[in-house]
Amino acid sequence: MEDRLSKEEVLHVAYLAKIKIKDNEMEKYQIELKTILDSIKKIKEVTGYDDEILIAPFSEDARLRDDVNKSNVIVKDILKNVPRHSGNYIEVPVVINE
Amino acid sequence: MSNYIPTIGIEIHVELKTNTKIFSDSINGYGMGANTLVNEIDLGYPGTLPLINKEVINIAIKACKVLNCKIRKEMHFDRKNYFYPDNPKNYQITQARTPIGYDGYVQINVDGVDKKIEIEEMHIEEDTCKSAHRKNVTLLDFNRAGVPLIEIVTKPCISSAKEAMLYIEKLKETLLYADISDCKMEEGSLRCDCNVSLRKNKEDKLGVKVEVKNIGSISNVGLSIEKEIARQSILYDKGEIFKEQTRRFDSTINDTVLMRIKETGNDYRYFPEPDIPYIHLTDQMINDALKNIPILPDERRKIYQKKNMSNINIEKIIANRSLSDYLNDMLDTDIDFQVASNLLLGDISSYLNKNNKNIFETKLTKEKFIDLVSKTKSRILTSKNIKDILNSVLESDNSIDEIISSNNISNITDDNELKDIISKVLVENENSVNDYINGHDRAFKYLMGQVMKMSKGKADPLIASNLLKEFLIKK
Amino acid sequence: MSRYLDKSIIEINKMLKEKVIKPIDLVEEAFARIEENENLNAFITLNKEEAIETAKKLENLEVDNILFGIPIAIKDNILTKDLRTTCASHMLDNFIPIYDATVISKLKEKHMIIVGKTNMDEFAMGSTSKTSYFGAPHNPWNYNKISGGSSGGSAVCVSSRITPFALGSDTGGSIRQPASYCGVVGMKPTYGRVSRYGLVAFASSLDQIGPLTRNVYENAVLLNAIVGMDNNDLTSANKKEEDFTRKIGEDISGMKIAIPNYFMSDIVSDEIREKIRSIIDILKQSGCTVDYIDIKYLENAVLLYQIIAMGEASSNLARYDGIRYGHSKENPKDIDELYYGSREEGFGDEVKRRIMVGSYILSGDNAKIYYDKAMSIRSDIRTSFLEAFKKYDLIIGPTTTTTAYGLDVEDPNPLKSFMDDVLVIPVNMAGLPGLNIPIGFSKDNLPIGMHIIGNDFDEATIYKLASYIEKKLNLDLTPKGCDKSV
Repeated sequence: MEDRLSKEEVLHVAYLAKIKIKDNEMEKYQIELKTILDSIKKIKEVTGYDDEILIAPFSEDARLRDDVNKSNVIVKDILKNVPRHSGNYIEVPVVINE
Repeated sequence: MSNYIPTIGIEIHVELKTNTKIFSDSINGYGMGANTLVNEIDLGYPGTLPLINKEVINIAIKACKVLNCKIRKEMHFDRKNYFYPDNPKNYQITQARTPIGYDGYVQINVDGVDKKIEIEEMHIEEDTCKSAHRKNVTLLDFNRAGVPLIEIVTKPCISSAKEAMLYIEKLKETLLYADISDCKMEEGSLRCDCNVSLRKNKEDKLGVKVEVKNIGSISNVGLSIEKEIARQSILYDKGEIFKEQTRRFDSTINDTVLMRIKETGNDYRYFPEPDIPYIHLTDQMINDALKNIPILPDERRKIYQKKNMSNINIEKIIANRSLSDYLNDMLDTDIDFQVASNLLLGDISSYLNKNNKNIFETKLTKEKFIDLVSKTKSRILTSKNIKDILNSVLESDNSIDEIISSNNISNITDDNELKDIISKVLVENENSVNDYINGHDRAFKYLMGQVMKMSKGKADPLIASNLLKEFLIKK
Repeated sequence: MSRYLDKSIIEINKMLKEKVIKPIDLVEEAFARIEENENLNAFITLNKEEAIETAKKLENLEVDNILFGIPIAIKDNILTKDLRTTCASHMLDNFIPIYDATVISKLKEKHMIIVGKTNMDEFAMGSTSKTSYFGAPHNPWNYNKISGGSSGGSAVCVSSRITPFALGSDTGGSIRQPASYCGVVGMKPTYGRVSRYGLVAFASSLDQIGPLTRNVYENAVLLNAIVGMDNNDLTSANKKEEDFTRKIGEDISGMKIAIPNYFMSDIVSDEIREKIRSIIDILKQSGCTVDYIDIKYLENAVLLYQIIAMGEASSNLARYDGIRYGHSKENPKDIDELYYGSREEGFGDEVKRRIMVGSYILSGDNAKIYYDKAMSIRSDIRTSFLEAFKKYDLIIGPTTTTTAYGLDVEDPNPLKSFMDDVLVIPVNMAGLPGLNIPIGFSKDNLPIGMHIIGNDFDEATIYKLASYIEKKLNLDLTPKGCDKSV
């Protein structure tokens, strides 16, 4: 068995996670990700379990809230943390092909 | 005509009519200043968690009912993961595993034949933010982020542009009448994506799927489907191979244009949303949600037909929700619905349009309207009278009788009085009488005008015109 | 420097009430201690000005509860309005929250005074606090050892007696494991007991905020202050108010205690197992029954944790994209450069690795193969624990497999950090409450901790046993380096 993922495999997961992989990090990730993925593949060997899933260990029903506005956040406060804005709009490089 | 059989499926997103958003209590509003209807939840701030708006669940239950869907009683939400600037958390909370509604249908009538457009499923999700594209930048306004949506997905069972349009019209009308959405395609509160594929024979498997996204009007839905059928037919005829793709309708060239080729299936990495526990819909919740569904259009059509309204008037009234609701308040009376609908669709509609008003905002009470209809029917009021007094009828608190007397309306309906007037007119206008006899129909209109003039507008036009005809025949 | 903060919370409260001291004295002392222990690197951001101002304001108020005027340190993944909250990440190193986490609002209602935000593993991902963008904290018992993680700074802060109280968060042992390494009491409450609103999510179905304190009683007191149903968190439970100190001091004879065989297997060091056995002897002598049992799929818990925690994390951390807040790539030429660049620069290696693996786990058919299966087995683990609690009051075991190891240990195995938490992770999987109680020291004078696991929402019984053991052992838990007399 190979001890590492192919570069393409690393780039695919990096694409899904939107993380740039620098050339000098490629080998490290090829090996590390392979180790982790091999580990989680062991779940295939686990047997005898019930099919019922547990999404979160919480048994109450979702509480439904009334359709009433109470919160009041000011644009000015929001914009304080925004890296780029133009007026009250939050700005990103142009996105074509929407 | 194409040699191929089209298979069409439609996905429709509608924004729900709620006060606040689905997962936060920010106001659900349109046309406000950028990023003014936003809180930390809508912006996907670190540490925020979604809350569920009860009204969204109620409206979705109603939508299930009016679209004949089965309702799933145990449901949860899922995350759909994809990076896009309009997607604040870079995942959208939706229902992938447990859509609230499934196995529904909308009945349409295609050239006299009923057809059920089958609905595969209907789920609840959140809207994305609005992007405006400038030369070098895209501007984001998160007011729309988190507005509640339902997505309604048909089975691939639509076979023509016409069926598609009828389906959307019917769906829109139904959702509008059930108070689910205001369904304004121009404001994006109803958005439509179509999947079109062709095949040679019914037995063949479906051809390459082409999705046309975000079509802005019902007629453009029809147009884009027709264009797609034509475009794909040519490609198949030429033997050209093409890939699954997403296109959009460009209304400036009236054709679809390519957005992107789907290289691999979208990898949305769905998984159950751990931040929202299960929702169990009890019978009580379902019954409560269904309590106040107004009468739906098809039911109204049946009622109006029984009331002997003309089909033209029925469709016109149904196209105007508030007029139809107004008329429905009269169902317990014995007024003539044809006369009533004529009044509503005629001068009253012109007045409402001109003044940008809703009929419920006028002073036309139920009692007044009943009176108005019966006086119109019995010809106490002529159409001219109505034009004259309409403003008072709609704007003042006075009764119809009070308005009639203060406007000095007393129509001459008495035959003898009218006959005198007509005799005089005929004597004074011998040339026109001769013209009429020689076949010039226009002369009749002129003579009628003279009759009305001589009666100072008080002659009942219908009676007067019948009498005038009798006189002229005798000549 | 005065040493009021070495006193018990009851004594401090009495002195405040009798106006022997003022809150400002405690705040000034806390900051003096912070300075004294600066080399431990327990804090990322200090809140000095605001803390002093708050303390002065409190002088005019009545001392209305036991936590009034007491300094507390907060893990830096819990949002504090207008006070920088970084998650120990470059991604958020300039992030100023616009709202308070629910737990923070609750502490402020009690008039506690926040002195600062504590160091941690970046986005709580790690078991050493070494993945912090701000460098690792040091263990007060041995400067060259790890504090554990991810709530390392909070454990160090309490262990070194800087503040009597700290809040941490626990996704896969991140309160209990550093508490064990640093010799403090750390509780991960039942999932749903404490609101997560304002806790920066790592793995939503596992995360829970909890108290780290010098002793058991004070732990229960702080838990009293932070619990409760929150309308901002749908996964916060609707439970009756209760006093978590109420069973402290009760007789423990007749208690039925279980210890899973796996917890005493050779994955745990001999020294620690020996210590646990000595506690078992005490418990038996005190009239408890202690049985060895098996819990289904316990040995798979880490595997499930890797799948579920990384899967959820990949989604929870997708929001850091340089658009609305947080680190943003300078002059990006297009949207992809903004995404890839901001995340490449903003996240450290451990975070990147976990979200890449998490994305893989949820991708295409993998979601079914890995994630769905993990959720199914998780359900069985919880069921198996709940079955055990039909027969037993509590489950015990060691908290960690070893004592704190060297800060310089560089394990090339990317799974090492998960293995440090092998004994505490199952509790997060099942959603149960679990607590670390110090039970002694190793040959090289490092703390050893015992793990007490309770039934759903039965924290009170955990405190009952823990306080009994605490009293019985009567350990001196103040690290030597910090042992400066009043």
